[in-house]
Amino acid sequence: MPSATTNSHRPSELLSRLASSEPEVKLRALREVKNQIIGNRTKKLSFLKLGAVPAVAGILADSADGVVGKNNCNNDINNILVQSAAALGSFACGFDAGVQAVLDAGAFPNLLRLLANSNEKVVDAGARALRMIYQSKLAPKYDFLQQKNMDFLISVLNSENENVSGLGASIITHSCQTSLEQKALFDAGILGKLVSLLEGGSLSQRDASLESLATIFRNNSEVVSKFVGPEIGRSLSSVIDLAKDRHPRTRLLACMCLIVIRNTSPQLLQNIGIKTKLIHILLELLDDPGQVGDEAPFALSSLIAQKEDLQKLALEANAIDKLQYHLQRGLLHPRRHEGILLALADMCSKLESCRSKFFSLQALNLVADALTNDSADIRTAACTCLKSVTRSIKNLSAGYFMNEMIVIPLVQLFLDPSTSVQVAALGALSNIVVDFTTRKSIFVQCGGIKQLVLLARSMEPAVRSNALWALKNFVFLADNRLKEGVFSELTASLLSSLICDPEPSVQEQALALVRNLVDGCMNSVEFVFADDGLILGAVGRQLQRASKPEIGIQGMYALCNVASGNEFHKEAVMHQLFPQMVDKNQSFMIKFLQSNESQLRTAAVWTIVNLTCPSSPGAYGRLVKLRNAGIISQIKKLENDPCVDVKLRAKAVQGHSEAFGVQPLLEHQTN
Amino acid sequence: MSLFWIVIRQLAEIEEQMATSKKVFTREEWEKRLNDVKIRKEDMNKLVMNFLVTEGYVEAAEKFRMESGTEPDIDLATITDRMAVKKAVQCGNVEDAIEKVNDLNPEILDTNPQLFFHLQQQRLIELIRNGKVEEALEFAQEELAPRGEENQSFLEELERTVALLAFEDATNCPVGELMDISQRLKTASEVNAAILTSQSHEKDPKLPSLLKMLIWAQNQLDEKASYPRINNLSSATLDDPTV
Repeated sequence: MPSATTNSHRPSELLSRLASSEPEVKLRALREVKNQIIGNRTKKLSFLKLGAVPAVAGILADSADGVVGKNNCNNDINNILVQSAAALGSFACGFDAGVQAVLDAGAFPNLLRLLANSNEKVVDAGARALRMIYQSKLAPKYDFLQQKNMDFLISVLNSENENVSGLGASIITHSCQTSLEQKALFDAGILGKLVSLLEGGSLSQRDASLESLATIFRNNSEVVSKFVGPEIGRSLSSVIDLAKDRHPRTRLLACMCLIVIRNTSPQLLQNIGIKTKLIHILLELLDDPGQVGDEAPFALSSLIAQKEDLQKLALEANAIDKLQYHLQRGLLHPRRHEGILLALADMCSKLESCRSKFFSLQALNLVADALTNDSADIRTAACTCLKSVTRSIKNLSAGYFMNEMIVIPLVQLFLDPSTSVQVAALGALSNIVVDFTTRKSIFVQCGGIKQLVLLARSMEPAVRSNALWALKNFVFLADNRLKEGVFSELTASLLSSLICDPEPSVQEQALALVRNLVDGCMNSVEFVFADDGLILGAVGRQLQRASKPEIGIQGMYALCNVASGNEFHKEAVMHQLFPQMVDKNQSFMIKFLQSNESQLRTAAVWTIVNLTCPSSPGAYGRLVKLRNAGIISQIKKLENDPCVDVKLRAKAVQGHSEAFGVQPLLEHQTN
Repeated sequence: MSLFWIVIRQLAEIEEQMATSKKVFTREEWEKRLNDVKIRKEDMNKLVMNFLVTEGYVEAAEKFRMESGTEPDIDLATITDRMAVKKAVQCGNVEDAIEKVNDLNPEILDTNPQLFFHLQQQRLIELIRNGKVEEALEFAQEELAPRGEENQSFLEELERTVALLAFEDATNCPVGELMDISQRLKTASEVNAAILTSQSHEKDPKLPSLLKMLIWAQNQLDEKASYPRINNLSSATLDDPTV
């Protein structure tokens, strides 16, 4: 028979004792609940399910009222307050369901009241519980634009009690989101307070202060410049010093704060010494076995993302070797696993030298393994990493990625329950299918095309757009047989409806797919004439109302490719340019020729070059029609265009008109 | 640590003087040099206080404070609590220790899964030691197994611990070292360190690392010079150089 001690600890039995009217019994039960749930997620959950949180919150509320009501400070009440606050804090520790339950039970305002208690232990317990709540995204936000909230914050930050002032910093980290709030906090002199915690505070105060400083700086160069401003020496160098602190967590937070400052104001912290130092500290923190080591790769990622110089420095600091070393050790915490993959993705996003290092360490296999990981975040990160390394033209050309190890798991991810995984998998695949060898068949054989077409019908715009992106890359410079395979799967009706998709990014990719489909031999052009020219009509309609230049560019290049075809094709394009002869001022050609986007002007003029090529019999008629619509005179204005492409094509059109003796119409003086 | 830098500086100076041959220092010369090194009394006192506080000698710390006027960098009352926790683990009263830690600061065990696991593991070891087999099994299943699911390395440690149950004589089995008193001390010092860290205090006293530096510095110096060496750290007497 199990021992009596274990039995009396049963949650349900404990709960009934919580309801006891005897303060002694109640107190002991509270303490037991607290001791059972601390550090024990399973217990937190089982107590939560039994409704322990509202019970404890009720005791807290009653006792807090008791203090106010009778105005006595007797020990029992204080003990009950301490134990119930500690229990609620533990329910909220690292456990979102617990935070939600504590908030739902209305405990938040009562915990706040404890901060004003005269007993230091009660204040500590209240502040600790609130800090736990503020570790979660679910914690209530403070609007600092309201004076009373700002006053509250200042009073908390000024508290002598370390837990209370630490709570103030956590509230900032959690609540401050807009640049207005950042400015308001700055104007209220909060930075000075945080810096003093940084310089003279305890370990936990320093850490909390570093986090809130980063929050107030993020993307707000105005606040950063004021912080650094005249006192560049002191405040900033305090943060720099903490990056060398003996506590790993402090080092990490100081690095993250410096990274935020750097990413916000790129002119700051530019000297090579500090950049290298940050990289070395973060790489060293990877060795930390706990949470710090799990977060370190994310910080590294934000440091090097989009920055070639830092990627180069990190490569020299053996970042890829180090990341690969941790990756191959296996049994990683999911968060760390994800972070390492993302850091590798950023490392390999721009420089071929980084990718070469990555391949030389056989890291590709490790990334491929992660494609089938149980965690959706890890699968997404693996796809992102794959997307970066497949930018290597050298390895792409060698057909290094078009194999079962990569392609089959990627195609399986197309059906992943998580949209972000689907989108990331499509992103990686988009690179891989730009394959210059004849190995594209592997992708077809494993049903890749069918899957992509299926995803092009997804409810998620990002999935539709990325699926079209992959298809677009797949048919890029592909032979006609492969294009036919794609087209028969896709059908003219689906493609034309995607061209008219409500989402602009989908429209753009659909038009780009058409552009690549009809690029190349004459036979390819026929695709847009299937089903009575359904697709060509859709392209024309979309160009009429093109909402973004990108859509105009892709659509115009599609028409341009069609216009390179035979006489029939060219006339069909003319028909799209002048549907039922709309007013010439409304013609999208004029609008495109006047666009600020040089690519759009290029595509538009190039189309006219193809339409007026003197070797084709109908060229003269088309020239006249274009001249009458004012297009030729518009092109004449582009002969000195700053963009060389535009200039050359405009001269070509001029050459064609001169060959036929067609002069541009003089523009009428309108006023 | 200023003392450390003084030693290093001295070392560097000596090194400069004897680029080639190994120099011999007589006792008089050496003592004169040592006398030239100025170390503030308050720094020495702080070092002692730091040791007493970190190691938890609360009564000695209290006396030392009164005698030397050195203020401890931590509330002496918290030392008593910390020592009570440490002692409970050392005596095998792990449950009691856990409750005391939670009273001190509930965040310690809630945010330190590894320490929490080690304490629970120690609790299991104590149950096994006391021959409470059924209770041990139940405890392992209910309290420890879920932690093993969360963390692979915990699972391996748990398996090692449960293996104790498979042997008639647990103390003489391949994992017998878990039953050893040193395992209790290991766990106790882990809790002690965690409490210190939660109080923003360093978990190790400075004095031992200073002594380590002394040994290191003497070893470095041995290659360059003969001098009266400190060989007995507890008496710190200078032994004449062997020439």
